[in-house]
Amino acid sequence: MTVVEEDLSRTFAALADPTRRAIVARLAAGEATAGQLAEPFALTQQAVSKHLKVLEQAGLITRSQVAQRRPCRLRPDHLDAAAAWIERHRQEWAERYDRLDEHLAALREEARK
Amino acid sequence: MSEMTYRRVHQAPPELLFDCMTQPEHLTRFWGPTGTSAPLDGITVDLRPGGAFETVMVSDADGSRYTMRAVYVEVRRPSRLVWTEPDKTTGMTTTITFNDLGDGRTEVVTHQTDMPAAYLSPQAQAGFATSLDRFTSYIASLSGDHPPA
Repeated sequence: MTVVEEDLSRTFAALADPTRRAIVARLAAGEATAGQLAEPFALTQQAVSKHLKVLEQAGLITRSQVAQRRPCRLRPDHLDAAAAWIERHRQEWAERYDRLDEHLAALREEARK
Repeated sequence: MSEMTYRRVHQAPPELLFDCMTQPEHLTRFWGPTGTSAPLDGITVDLRPGGAFETVMVSDADGSRYTMRAVYVEVRRPSRLVWTEPDKTTGMTTTITFNDLGDGRTEVVTHQTDMPAAYLSPQAQAGFATSLDRFTSYIASLSGDHPPA
């Protein structure tokens, strides 16, 4: 695997968990502390910290090293890479199925003759 | 691990769509990808689990050739087709599900993952299949100016 693919794998693995996706969605609206993130999920702060660590290692978020409350911030560049991978494959299949539809129409036309 | 799900409704019964995806005479007409052709003599289909599925893609621009080498994992006409590309270091697996909509139309769901399916539990696979579309639209909302719902 290339470095990019490895990064991508970590990104997708991190986002495989619904709680972590919800945390990412929350952070898309703005930075938040671990305590603020724990509230809506009925999770302990410890459980949230574990999720944050996975997201941080996947490069999806950064945590401030200076402020005492260490707010979390989203890093959209890694999400963009994941979206690009999906989009590339989607595009290939979309075009393939466009051609399949044309082929099916040609088959119907032949059957009518 | 990376994943992709693509859904599409076609104006044809599942049997015909399954045959289109598994018979060289059909495949050569649409397999592509765009900017390439898949000549009939370069397509190998040994339609059984463990059988070969190979296509040679020839570039329209410079005639360069790329061979996709896959092995069928599951063959269940007309509902499900799974193959894996073991050559790739990451082992891309493609699953195509044909859902008969009962009105002459068929929903075709294409699911790709770059990790062998065997590494994923059935629960994980089911979870991914349902969550990925939501995730994708979510990412789309992130790249737009409007905040996600």
